[in-house]
Amino acid sequence: MCDIGCPHLQELKSTKGVELYRIIFSSFVAASSSVARKRKAIHCFCFVCKSIDYRLHSCLQCVYFGCYKGHHIQDHAKHKKHYLAVELSHGNILCVACGTYVYDDEFLNVAHELMVRTGHKLGMGALYRPWEPSAKVLELLRKNPRRRKIVPGVAIGLRGLINLGNTCFMNCIVQALTHTPLLRDHFLTEEHVCRPEDQAGCLVCEVSTLFQEFYSGNKGPLTLHRLLHMIWTHARHLAGYEQQDAHEFFIATLDVLHRHCKASAPALPENENSQPDNPHQCTCIIDTIFTGGLQSDVVCQACNGVSTTIDPFWDISLDLGTSARGGNNVGDEGSFNSVGSDLSLSGDSKQANNGPTTLIDCLERFTRAEHLGSSAKIKCNNCQSYQESTKQLTMKKLPVVASFHLKRFEHSSRLHKKISTYISFPEQLDMTPFMSSNRNNRNLLNSRTSSSSSSSSSSDSAGDWISSGSGPLSLSDNRYSLFAVINHLGTLDAGHYTAYVRQQNNHWFKCDDHMITRANLQEVLDSEGYLLFYHKKLMEFQ
Amino acid sequence: MSRRRTIDASYDHINNDGKEKRGVNKKAVNQHLTIEGDKERFKELLRRRLTECGWRDEIRILCRDAIRDKGVHNVSVDDIVEEVTPVGRARVPDSVKKELLQKIKSYLYEKATK
Ligand SMILES: [Zn+2]
Ligand SMILES: [Zn+2]
Ligand SMILES: [Zn+2]
Ligand SMILES: [Zn+2]
Ligand SMILES: [Zn+2]
Ligand SMILES: [Zn+2]
Repeated sequence: MCDIGCPHLQELKSTKGVELYRIIFSSFVAASSSVARKRKAIHCFCFVCKSIDYRLHSCLQCVYFGCYKGHHIQDHAKHKKHYLAVELSHGNILCVACGTYVYDDEFLNVAHELMVRTGHKLGMGALYRPWEPSAKVLELLRKNPRRRKIVPGVAIGLRGLINLGNTCFMNCIVQALTHTPLLRDHFLTEEHVCRPEDQAGCLVCEVSTLFQEFYSGNKGPLTLHRLLHMIWTHARHLAGYEQQDAHEFFIATLDVLHRHCKASAPALPENENSQPDNPHQCTCIIDTIFTGGLQSDVVCQACNGVSTTIDPFWDISLDLGTSARGGNNVGDEGSFNSVGSDLSLSGDSKQANNGPTTLIDCLERFTRAEHLGSSAKIKCNNCQSYQESTKQLTMKKLPVVASFHLKRFEHSSRLHKKISTYISFPEQLDMTPFMSSNRNNRNLLNSRTSSSSSSSSSSDSAGDWISSGSGPLSLSDNRYSLFAVINHLGTLDAGHYTAYVRQQNNHWFKCDDHMITRANLQEVLDSEGYLLFYHKKLMEFQ
Repeated sequence: MSRRRTIDASYDHINNDGKEKRGVNKKAVNQHLTIEGDKERFKELLRRRLTECGWRDEIRILCRDAIRDKGVHNVSVDDIVEEVTPVGRARVPDSVKKELLQKIKSYLYEKATK
């Protein structure tokens, strides 16, 4: 196999260029317009044996179709001296004279460009392409022949963290963050570019160093006093040596990091400012990983008008109480009418008054339509009057890392207590049922605008593909797997935090300050759970 | 409507394995899938599932071994295809086959009953 083309391909390129290849590719390999697809459907078969598969090729000189297995494209090539042919399911170029597939950068670039375009037109996002190391990475690999192989059983990436006096709330969050696959990859590849004025006390640099330390291969416990100090100066409300809430610390850390990264991240191009996919409108690594979009639909009971808003979120706080509804305490009063069975999921036979017992219960409650009582009338934009309404929260856009906060601490004016109810949570979680497209597509569809999936000026017929997020052919993949769990042990005032983290996909470890011990999945799933971290199984390729 | 009938026929074919109908129906289904762009979508779905379950990496290693055994300069694409294809087919996880079959069935059923 030859990656610098072959004399035949070079000759064709110098006399005819890549134009014919482009035409064949866009018509018969990745047909992006409906006209092209129709043509492909009707004309793509072997001119000799009529077969539609058997590795069909098209002659690159005269657009003759012949199969490879029946030797029909080879026959054509030899007979006509047309040696080059395009394989029609992947677009690779075969040279019959050389007897092999040949590769040339210019042709490969055309193929890549057309694949990306077709992927977008068909609503699939960019088509998956395997990772190829860049020239720079290859150079580095060549210069540094020593490799550290990650083999099962080697505990790389595990470091205990010294407790500096009630700092287990910070230690457990640092453990969860350092074991977030995408965040780890970001910091280990040193993608952060520091601004000169930040260098002395750059928090992002500090976190980068921390990640490098974690994965350096050393085993001794680390001390986080510099990080702690920096977070104190950036989030004053967390300063002091008393026990803090791990959830609050988590959100504060994301916020501080986001504010630091934002400054160094490239600004969004003008025309993408209103992109619905990025509710935070920030391209920093924190928002890329943690930000999702929560859709809120308020339906007026008088006129059925819907007003929809989408808000960014970093985590989802879930109520565990018996009467309170999931996170959205808009109209309290405990008014609790289910809004007709059409809005709740099928098989939802649980009594509304029983508290949740599983994470799924919590999420169902969170995304259930809720009647806002007469004391919470909202002005309807449609009929311009104050009316009772229902409100429903759904996931418009899922984050790469879904963080769930089980509200185990109840703080009211008189009462502080911990709710230790057992809530089971799964290792594998599919968020599809809680998506906006799935949850409320029955009676809200008419008033919602269809999302525009492609920004390119598509000349294709409308209705080609409206990404619906459901149906058998949906490519949107909403499956997650658990990678970290933070637990709070003990009581409200004498408590301790520990973390379970996942290593190399299926090994679990318990991090208790400076102590790291092996754990198993069952132990993790049996734990009480305070913060649950799930990572998207399959990344959408960009 | 002729298109509707083609699809009905194709759907029947999935249930009864009539040999001589097979060719015609396969072609009809293929045409329909191609025109709608859904063939690319199914292919992409399959590609993602195979990558995700590690099949792709396994096959890569098999290909690399095949090339190493024969020597980089004596190996042809045909050799690799011949050697790797049967193993590759056998190693596609049942769960992936099942999901794809299920999705294609319900897709065709949906089209046929619309
Ligand atoms: Zn020809
Ligand atoms: Zn043929
Ligand atoms: Zn050649
Ligand atoms: Zn920096
Ligand atoms: Zn940001
Ligand atoms: Zn109204």
